[in-house]
Amino acid sequence: MRRRALIFVSAIGAAMLSSSAQAEVTDLEVKAAFLPRFARYVTWPAAAWRGDQPVSLCVIGDDPFGNLLNQSIAGQQVDGRNFVVKRLSSAAGASDCAIAFVDGSRTDEILQSLAHQPVLTVTDSRFGSERGIIHFVIVGGRVRFSINNRQAREDGLTISSRLLALAVGVSG
Amino acid sequence: MRIYLFLAPVLLGASFGSPALAQQLAEQDLSSLSIEQLAQLPVTSASKTEEPLSQAPAALYVVTAHDIENSGATSLPEALRLAPNLNVQQVTASQYAIAARGFNGIQAGNKLLVLIDGRSIYTPLADNVTWELHQPLLEDIEQIEVISGPGGTLYGPNAVNGVVNITTKSAEDTIGGLLRGTAGADERTAAARYGFAIGSAGAMRIYADYDDREGLPRGIGAAIDDHSRSWQGGFRSDFGGADDRFTMQGDLFRSTDKMFAGDHTSAHNLLARWTHDLGRSASFQIQSYYDWYKSEVTLVDQSLETWDNEAQLNVTTGPHQIVAGAGVRTTKDRFVNGLNAFELNPESRRLWVYNAFAQDRFNLTTDLALIAGVKLEKSSFVGWQVLPNLRLAYQPNARALFWAAVSKAVRTPSRIDRQLELLPLVPPSTDFMSEKLVAFEAGYRGQPASWLSLSVNVFYNFYNDLRTTESLTDQVFPIELLNGRKGTTYGIEAWGKAQVTPWWRLSLGATTLHKSFHLVDDRTDLEPRNSLGADPHWQVVGSSDMDLSRKLKLTLDVRAVSPLDLPPSVPGYVEAGGRIAYDLNDEVELFVAARNLLHETHEENGDPNSAQLAKRSVYAGTRLRF
Repeated sequence: MRRRALIFVSAIGAAMLSSSAQAEVTDLEVKAAFLPRFARYVTWPAAAWRGDQPVSLCVIGDDPFGNLLNQSIAGQQVDGRNFVVKRLSSAAGASDCAIAFVDGSRTDEILQSLAHQPVLTVTDSRFGSERGIIHFVIVGGRVRFSINNRQAREDGLTISSRLLALAVGVSG
Repeated sequence: MRIYLFLAPVLLGASFGSPALAQQLAEQDLSSLSIEQLAQLPVTSASKTEEPLSQAPAALYVVTAHDIENSGATSLPEALRLAPNLNVQQVTASQYAIAARGFNGIQAGNKLLVLIDGRSIYTPLADNVTWELHQPLLEDIEQIEVISGPGGTLYGPNAVNGVVNITTKSAEDTIGGLLRGTAGADERTAAARYGFAIGSAGAMRIYADYDDREGLPRGIGAAIDDHSRSWQGGFRSDFGGADDRFTMQGDLFRSTDKMFAGDHTSAHNLLARWTHDLGRSASFQIQSYYDWYKSEVTLVDQSLETWDNEAQLNVTTGPHQIVAGAGVRTTKDRFVNGLNAFELNPESRRLWVYNAFAQDRFNLTTDLALIAGVKLEKSSFVGWQVLPNLRLAYQPNARALFWAAVSKAVRTPSRIDRQLELLPLVPPSTDFMSEKLVAFEAGYRGQPASWLSLSVNVFYNFYNDLRTTESLTDQVFPIELLNGRKGTTYGIEAWGKAQVTPWWRLSLGATTLHKSFHLVDDRTDLEPRNSLGADPHWQVVGSSDMDLSRKLKLTLDVRAVSPLDLPPSVPGYVEAGGRIAYDLNDEVELFVAARNLLHETHEENGDPNSAQLAKRSVYAGTRLRF
């Protein structure tokens, strides 16, 4: 037992020497980084894409990200398209959103109006219990998410196995 | 002025940090990471400092899941040491006395209401909280709200000096596996949990944990063998979407704390809750639970069965936010004393408690709200009691809340207060009434800067009809429990948290308590300690929480507690602890932790029957998530 403890303590010592204190990021920064990247692992029905317009990343309701989302889409592309961030107060005008992060007191209502439309809805457990197709959770100090794959299929979206594998829970 | 002094180190430390610069650096890194790498990136939960300010106009401290996971606590009472507005006294290896704003002690600690996921663990048999019967899996706790001061309309009776509201995570947020083991010379713990999705809109987890604690060295109390072994298992499942949410959960508990052969304790409970959204501005909730425990310890057999049902309606209309509800609780107890001649008469009894409440938060202007509430309660021992409370909340901006409140609270008579007897020496106390409090409070809670949160509360409490153990004649016997004492308490509570740098957080809290009590007319009290408790005049708790690297975390805590104010004498003490944790990889965390590091032993509680010495404890452990 004592010997094991010694090995353990020396492992900690080595780790302290080899790594200097690094700046941690906040959960919102990581979530903002995830949002445009989801587009690479989701297939929208062909009709949802119009010409070569940029991919709309919408924030509907309250916007917890501020400038973070605009920073995270910089330089990101999917199928040669750039992203554009749109901020909406309701589901009206959300039909051309590819991805919609929904937050605020009307989340439930907004999610219902987006059902059966090809919009990847995203919610955050930090702000409420309502769940979009992707629902962010913090697990073990990391940003993870659950995926409601049945809802995705109903909305005409196909989620790749690589994204499903990363989810902490897949339903449907 | 004194309250500002303790904040000086926090303010000094904070001026060295530059969170904005570090954030800029981090943002540049993220764009190059894969989704798998993003999912493995440790994050500071932004809720630490950026959480919207709770609007609750009360002295509220929140212990977060992050605080608990990074502390050296391996039990619920040890985790409650993180709340500066609670005084935690270890009595034996597994027994604790915990109080807010005074009256701490195994016997006296009857003024703190404790709920786990809406289920009260305050026992009406003796009016106290038997902490050793509850060992929820610490990693599954979402947060612990600690309110010092009367719980007001929403919590009601027995929430006289405070409420501890423990909520566990929704089953959807505990999907996956967890294994934890810790081992040291003084205690071993093991825990396992597995959570999984059920269908498209539900999830469930099952868990079990086991604690094995060595006995403590003898303190003021008798020489007892307080070696404790206990396990608890249970489940929680959550179903539904935004309109309807169903929760069902239950726990099983067993312990074999042995002072005599055959001693054992068992408990179980089952709770169901349905929340229904009635549209944009209204919702209702129905909750029902069954709770049972039986303990056979030192020749005293007791059991208690509780069946509790309550309904609550929330409506927002115009400037009014209204909460109204009603509930009924029935308990059936049994108390057989083989240790001495004291008994409860009758041995077994069913009691009923009915309550109804309503509260309106009326937004007078955009930044000023008046909260008025009243709770009505009737129990088998006392008639209808009216518990009003009135609060004013002023929120000049999103970062500051000033509040003031006046409330009435009562501690209702327990079976022991009313029906304990030892004829002819101790007749039953058929006249024992509720203990009463009128409390005046005011406070400030806010974030003067994005990296700093502060809270300062003051209170002045007027107590009446407090319990006294009185001689009815010039001789000692017969004695009877009566309501012969009144008095006042006042104090200040203050705490702050500072995100000094993105990787370093400091917190500091302090409370003071002044008690002044006297007997009414020519009354007597043979056991003042059983009624008033034994409390420190002040305590200070502080902690430092550092992410030394992405893989290495260091948490240190320190507490200083002044001597207790009633004999037997328990001196003040300073103690410290800590935890160092290393993430071997994404799944495995290794840690070493210590409690009470500064002294081999120290006294925390002066209970003449059972108080033992708190002891230094060092252990190593691991957590595995998959």
